[in-house]
Amino acid sequence: MKPPLLTQYLRIDSTLRLEPRAVEDCHSPRRFAGSSASGYLRPSAFGLRISFGLRRSGFGFAVSTLLLLALCPCTSTASAASPDALFQAGATAYRAGDYARAAEVFRESIILQPASGALHNLGNAEWQRRHTGAAILAWDQALWLDPFNQSARQNLRFARKNAQLEAPDLAWYEVISTWLPVSWWAWIAGASLWLAVGMGMLPGILRQRKATWHQAIAAVGLMVFLLSVPAYVGVETRLRIGFVLQKDTPLRLTPTLEAQAVTRLAAGEPARLVRTRGNYVLIRTNRALGWVEEDQFGLTCPRTRNKAG
Amino acid sequence: MSLMVSQPNIDIPAVTKVTAAFDPPVVRPGEQASLRIALNALEESVEWPTNLAGPPQLEIRPGAHGQILQFTGRTMEPRTAFNYHVRSSSPGLFTVPEFVVKVDGKPVTVPSAQIEVMSEPPATVAPAARLTLGLPVTNLFLGQAVQAHIVLPGSPGGVVQGLIQPQLSGPGLLLDLGAIRQRIEMAPRAGVNVATFIYEITFTPMIAGKLTVFAQGFTVGQRVSGPVVTNSPAPVPPGLPQYTLVESDPVELNVRPLPREGELPGFTGAIGSLAVGPPKLATNVLHVGDPVRLTVTVTNRGDGPLARLVNPPPPQAPGWQVFVANDFAPTQPLPPQQLVGPLRPGLPSQAATVAGVVTFNYTLIPLTEAAQATPPIPFSYFDPKAVRYVDLTIPSVPVTVKPGAAPGDLASLMQTNPAGVEPEKELALSGLVVSRGRTASSLVPPQQQAWFPLVQLAPAVAFFGLWRWDRRRRYLEKHPHIILRRRARRALRRQWRILRRAARAADGRRFAAAAVNAMRVACAPHYPAEPRALVGCDVLALLPEAERFGRAGEVVRRFFALTDATRFGPVAPPNAADLLPLQSDLDRVLQQLEEKL
Repeated sequence: MKPPLLTQYLRIDSTLRLEPRAVEDCHSPRRFAGSSASGYLRPSAFGLRISFGLRRSGFGFAVSTLLLLALCPCTSTASAASPDALFQAGATAYRAGDYARAAEVFRESIILQPASGALHNLGNAEWQRRHTGAAILAWDQALWLDPFNQSARQNLRFARKNAQLEAPDLAWYEVISTWLPVSWWAWIAGASLWLAVGMGMLPGILRQRKATWHQAIAAVGLMVFLLSVPAYVGVETRLRIGFVLQKDTPLRLTPTLEAQAVTRLAAGEPARLVRTRGNYVLIRTNRALGWVEEDQFGLTCPRTRNKAG
Repeated sequence: MSLMVSQPNIDIPAVTKVTAAFDPPVVRPGEQASLRIALNALEESVEWPTNLAGPPQLEIRPGAHGQILQFTGRTMEPRTAFNYHVRSSSPGLFTVPEFVVKVDGKPVTVPSAQIEVMSEPPATVAPAARLTLGLPVTNLFLGQAVQAHIVLPGSPGGVVQGLIQPQLSGPGLLLDLGAIRQRIEMAPRAGVNVATFIYEITFTPMIAGKLTVFAQGFTVGQRVSGPVVTNSPAPVPPGLPQYTLVESDPVELNVRPLPREGELPGFTGAIGSLAVGPPKLATNVLHVGDPVRLTVTVTNRGDGPLARLVNPPPPQAPGWQVFVANDFAPTQPLPPQQLVGPLRPGLPSQAATVAGVVTFNYTLIPLTEAAQATPPIPFSYFDPKAVRYVDLTIPSVPVTVKPGAAPGDLASLMQTNPAGVEPEKELALSGLVVSRGRTASSLVPPQQQAWFPLVQLAPAVAFFGLWRWDRRRRYLEKHPHIILRRRARRALRRQWRILRRAARAADGRRFAAAAVNAMRVACAPHYPAEPRALVGCDVLALLPEAERFGRAGEVVRRFFALTDATRFGPVAPPNAADLLPLQSDLDRVLQQLEEKL
């Protein structure tokens, strides 16, 4: 019979290995204040901090020890390979013609830290493996992070031309949201709003006469805010855009295995997520509305699926 | 229907006959022999074991397997063959025991087979029939067509064996069945020229990496090599042809992807060594709107086969509309007079067979009289020997364009093809990027994060706090007595603490001074006045009418009298310790004064 502590250690370890998201959370340099300069957790520093915080009681010491042990597999995995090292390993495998290995390694690098270049290369590797849907999804995610990535944009056009696929049908505010990285719009909207509010309020509070430049900055801030709102909304609606991953994916009438197939979708065909039910998602393509299996549809922003439905 | 009826029936025998034999039955130590097992059944119906058991001294590896329909006189009978490669390093007589397989779900016994390994086998034993796979090159690029030679040597007696169903086996190969050739020619074998059956097939590797390929086929010979053991009492008819599955040694190919660097416009997958002839126009005098045909001949100058070529895409040129007349141009054999020319110097005679020409046809329509030459058509190929792309752009042809009956949609054509617009850049898969580029902690945008509303709330809280502070400040500016009273309360409490400490220390002088100060600071906001300017009557004026001449008034007078005497009196003041018992009365006075603040 395993001791309780060892049992918990094993359970946490298996959880971390089975759930890439959990690994990502543990490894993200922004999650912990005790991260090193290279962006990885320093176990000793983090463990000692926990111990110092709880050292006055025996219970606290036991909890800190348990947390330290639980973090051990996480930190050992983190020190095994950095996103940069995985990126280089993937590029080496790609140049050697081992596209399956390259895709696997690029994907690991992206799980540790999403990067536009890694997503671009992942798309290339998937394209070489003839996984059109996964390749288009990866290139779209590269543009999602960095719309200035011309290589990914060119590859998307190339793939869509070759596979005779359409690009997602975007509304005007969604097109505007593609001009800058998606994370920028929220900051631009917030900063411009508060800049306008500040320029309107602060001169009075600080007993200063409202100068022309105060009002000009406030007006510019308000204008930028109003202009960024449509893009902000566009990012929100683009969260539901995804791509069919497998070729000849049946679009079902109902979310059941025996459901009648309305049509069959090509890999890489764009669609919008409407809602989720069980292992099926309701998507709307340019042609039809229907259900596909969850694994057959990949969202540009994968977290959205949990909120949908 | 009559054609179907005229075909012989396929007869699947009720009794499955199985043969197993070594070819050759006697080998030297280390020499390879083949164990050939044949069944008269469909291959799909046979459940064949994964591994074959045998003596430990024998190294047994699985080889080729295949099926053929054997003509038995009136009907066709299926024949399925399985080959194994056997080798032994030690001499002796070895037996592969019989084993049972299932054919159509019924057990069928495969008989045992014997092989003798000896250092000096008898000269009468014929060597095993084997194919030879000849490849001119094994280091290939993805998409590079290669012509393979499957060679089946005949017997020294001049008997030529035919080969049926020859094929190349291996992953990721695209076989060009339209480019198959077979011939018989004399080739040296063991110092003697024998008639040799040669089968040529062109294949193209479609995946990169290490690929293993081997050739296999059924010989149509009359000979039976070695003793045959059969489990059936029925004799093998001597007159019928014996189909024997033979194969070659595997050959490993190293297939590399085409380099992305240096790719030129107009590359449509052509690999080899090509040359473009001069483009030919049907006429050099054209009219606006009249189509003209442009013909270009591409000649193979390399020693590899001319694989199927795809026309380079038509360019978007100002003043012209260009169409491809045919998307795919079949390869034509090279005319004999060109074979002896300088096109292919130094190539072996056999390589001449792979030469060929391909003709590209385009239809061009001049849209304006200003056009003086046909647009150049970008075309390039990849040279595997030089490992680089070579430009073979089809050059312009000078023309004279005269006014003509312009088509009705000329305006729209000119609008969609304006003179100043550069042709669209040809799309191609870009190579790997060398840096990770822009990174993020997550693909999820900030507005979807839980902390984002809090971050946006922080400036709102700060601005609200600033606003509240400013409003309060303005209110206090309009009502300064609030600040005076607040300060007075604070000073009163401070003096109160001092007098309590003095009382505990029995320091009457400090006690009295603190009490007077406390009364002064408590009364100062009511006048307003500096606390030190107030005298006892000022304090008494703030007490209720009844208290002024009561106990409270007396306490006030006594404390002020003592402090005035101390400061201004010519005589020594009374003992300040006498005032200490008045602390409780003083507290009541101070409480009354505090309540008025």
